[in-house]
Amino acid sequence: MKRVLSLAAIEIFVWLVLLLVTFSISKGAIEISFGSATLPERVATQTARLLTSGLLILLWLVAWKKVADLYLCRMLSRHAASA
Amino acid sequence: MLDAYSAVSLGITFVVAFAATFLATPTVAKKMSSLGITGVDIHKTAKNKVPEMCGLAIIFGLVIGTFAEYLMMPVAWRQALAFIGTVLIAGAIGVVDDLHPLGARTKPLLTALACVPILVLGTYVPYAEVPLYGPVRLTIVYPILVPIAIAVTSNSVNMMDVMNGSMPGTVSIVAFTVTMILLWAGGTRTAILTGGLLGATLAFYYFNRFPSRVFGGDTGSLSVGAAIGALAILGRIEAVAIVALIPQIMNAFYGLSSVRGLRERREILQRPTRLLESGLLQASAEKGAPVTLARLILVAGPLGEKEVVRIMMVLTAVSSLLAALTYSITVFVK
Repeated sequence: MKRVLSLAAIEIFVWLVLLLVTFSISKGAIEISFGSATLPERVATQTARLLTSGLLILLWLVAWKKVADLYLCRMLSRHAASA
Repeated sequence: MLDAYSAVSLGITFVVAFAATFLATPTVAKKMSSLGITGVDIHKTAKNKVPEMCGLAIIFGLVIGTFAEYLMMPVAWRQALAFIGTVLIAGAIGVVDDLHPLGARTKPLLTALACVPILVLGTYVPYAEVPLYGPVRLTIVYPILVPIAIAVTSNSVNMMDVMNGSMPGTVSIVAFTVTMILLWAGGTRTAILTGGLLGATLAFYYFNRFPSRVFGGDTGSLSVGAAIGALAILGRIEAVAIVALIPQIMNAFYGLSSVRGLRERREILQRPTRLLESGLLQASAEKGAPVTLARLILVAGPLGEKEVVRIMMVLTAVSSLLAALTYSITVFVK
């Protein structure tokens, strides 16, 4: 039961960070605009939005990995200590 | 709101896909055994041989279920064709991979091509629904994201197919959630297709659950994963699908990041888990071993395969609840 709760907590953490990232994308990345009158302007706008969003998603993945690594290391050291 | 005709169509598609998969699986298993296409059940001390590539039965169920959906809703033929085309291409890649293992980079690249029917038939809406914001116009970028989405979902589901019943069990929960959310969102036609996926995976779960009598192989997992990706795009619930698939993506992402990039299972010498003489599974304590969801579950202590899969299903149920919450937030913000 305890292990399920720990892993579910990681899931909820990942979900909350995802919401934070989407909020940041909506308030930051999506507001980027280089105009939309011509095709190059539209391409530049969407590329900039995508790259910024991609960077934020990368941060989400890093946070995700860090929390899983932390859980794994703590559990492994706990078992090594008790062995 | 779900009208009576749509409700009946959903029920029929579910039953037809379930029945077709349920009846086809033993026949496919028999054929695979006679052809010598078998795999070793590595998480058992007996090391039984189990017929492989039985995911063909899931594809058969999905084809028949989608055909039933088409007969009841011919107006949605483009969606049905895009869905089944994606499933068939991913399934064909799975067959090739099962018979002649593909490279670690080739497989995701090829599975990305499974999105061609969606792009050719133009069955996507280039406005992604972002939680806490709403629809975002991505007319140029969206067609580039479609192959990435199909590659991610198909390979994530493929990497989750590691234990008896883990793939169809977790995907059934995701399919049920996606069906409910699509009905809520008014995407009835896509929900009916998802009902077919739910029927096919539930029927396959019956045979694949512990102790497995059949293995789906990459044929089954790649096609099922591509089906979820296609449904997320067709039903415009991309973000919701990502949240519902957190355990699968978690498993794939941890695995890839811990072995530093795309590497085929056969290339990785250290295993994430090991089988004890008692028949229980234990997490590897080696530093370089891949970090998978199974290893994270087992790091708290040894467990049987059945219990590990049960925890995977509980975690998928949690992520499904979070997916429903994500959708309700999106609706609330609108």
